[in-house]
Amino acid sequence: MTWRTRRPPPEGERPAGEHEVHGIAFRDPETPEEPPPAAPAGRRVGPAKLTVLPSFLLLLLLGTWLWFRGAHLDAIAHNAIADGNVWLRLRQHIVLTVLSTVLVLVIAIPLGVLLTRRRLRPATPVVVAVANIGQATPAIGLLALLVIWMGIGMRAALVGIVVYAVLPVLSNTMAGLRAIDPTLAEAARGIGMSPLGVLFKVELPLAVPLILAGVRTALVLNVGTATLAYFGGGGGLGDLIASGITNQRMPVLVLGSVLTVALALLVDWLASLAELLLRPRGLEAGD
Amino acid sequence: MSFWEYLGSRHEQLLADAYQHASAVLQCMVVATLLGVVIGVLTYRSAWAGDLAVTVTATLLTIPSLALIGLLIPVTGLGVAPTVTALVLYGLLPIVRNAIVGLRGVDPSLVDAAKGIGMSRPARLLRVELPLAWPPILTGIRVATQMLMGIAAIAAYASGPGLGNEIFRGISSLGSANALNQVLAGTLGIVVLALLFDAVYVLIGWLTIPRGIRA
Repeated sequence: MTWRTRRPPPEGERPAGEHEVHGIAFRDPETPEEPPPAAPAGRRVGPAKLTVLPSFLLLLLLGTWLWFRGAHLDAIAHNAIADGNVWLRLRQHIVLTVLSTVLVLVIAIPLGVLLTRRRLRPATPVVVAVANIGQATPAIGLLALLVIWMGIGMRAALVGIVVYAVLPVLSNTMAGLRAIDPTLAEAARGIGMSPLGVLFKVELPLAVPLILAGVRTALVLNVGTATLAYFGGGGGLGDLIASGITNQRMPVLVLGSVLTVALALLVDWLASLAELLLRPRGLEAGD
Repeated sequence: MSFWEYLGSRHEQLLADAYQHASAVLQCMVVATLLGVVIGVLTYRSAWAGDLAVTVTATLLTIPSLALIGLLIPVTGLGVAPTVTALVLYGLLPIVRNAIVGLRGVDPSLVDAAKGIGMSRPARLLRVELPLAWPPILTGIRVATQMLMGIAAIAAYASGPGLGNEIFRGISSLGSANALNQVLAGTLGIVVLALLFDAVYVLIGWLTIPRGIRA
């Protein structure tokens, strides 16, 4: 029960549910509000989720384009973006990101499944230790070492991006599989399912949200690491940023940076949509 | 020249770079921690402000560091300024998020009990809520420091200080005899620094996490 010390309004003007005792307004306990209507089934993505980020990106790109058209470009700046270089770098960046993400998933998810099987459990601390050291390794150093080892080009960059992202996704997958209620796997075994059946029909479906989170992590990380591919001759939008910095040409620098930022935000947004849409129905009640 | 000979002949330069790297990360982390905890304290009680802070920091975290540095250069110029700005900004993000999550996770009955024995709002915050939220905040600080180690290396391309310069010297002299030594020295140096920092954080955790809530 809440009470207010404000002056009682004149007789007959009390709002519903309020009454007066000795000049103090008392209020009946609030009637519990109706629970918000459940979102209609099948529509998990609200309109804000669909519109806010794309419109922001559109404004950002439009603004940059207008500014870029008005900017003064000398020969050096012109050279850096001539012959469709911007499109080429953007395409390279997308190819690097998508390819490396697919490779990361193909490596990390089966490895995560293997490492959580009973026979390989003892290997877990080793993997965790390697993952910790991997986290401490700077991406640019790793990439440079790979370039020295494998030679300049897209291949070394791709390997570097993949190596850098495998560890976080792997530890995510392992954590997800380990967090599954063991009684569920037990029950599945109890009704006579084979180990493979338990894995594919019980454990992996339950781990889908976590695996999707891993996909998102990998994509976002890879967009970032792909900017460094340029330093190993792997192309990508890092080319525009780096030539903008070394030549002190701000329009080129800003164009490359804005495109990279827009790509990163777009990729993260797409992955978050996928996370919402692909999650198994049965897991929704738990959120 | 073998790697050990290289380390021997260049140890002064390497130690100076390592010192600058560690000192840049440390100073930026101190600023980021203070700012991050203040932002967390100011926003966690309001549903929308806290959620906004978490969403904004998560979004900023997806921005590649080279692109952020690239956007800072027209504003701040080259050198220390964009490096420090980028490091503080990225360092903030995990700390703000963990501070809000940690402060919101404090059992309300404990705060109520503190109110009941007559503690003022600042006293409740300093003596009850922040100590209880400290373990996740410290985790945020650890995550942020590891991230900053790598970002500081990239910032060397914008003439920032530290071991990243060693790596970029190696990259720009690819094929020369010392390229591998330079890249290796820079990379391993950063790994060693990151592991040292991590060990210090474990120690700080031992010393500062209240005994009652130690795992």
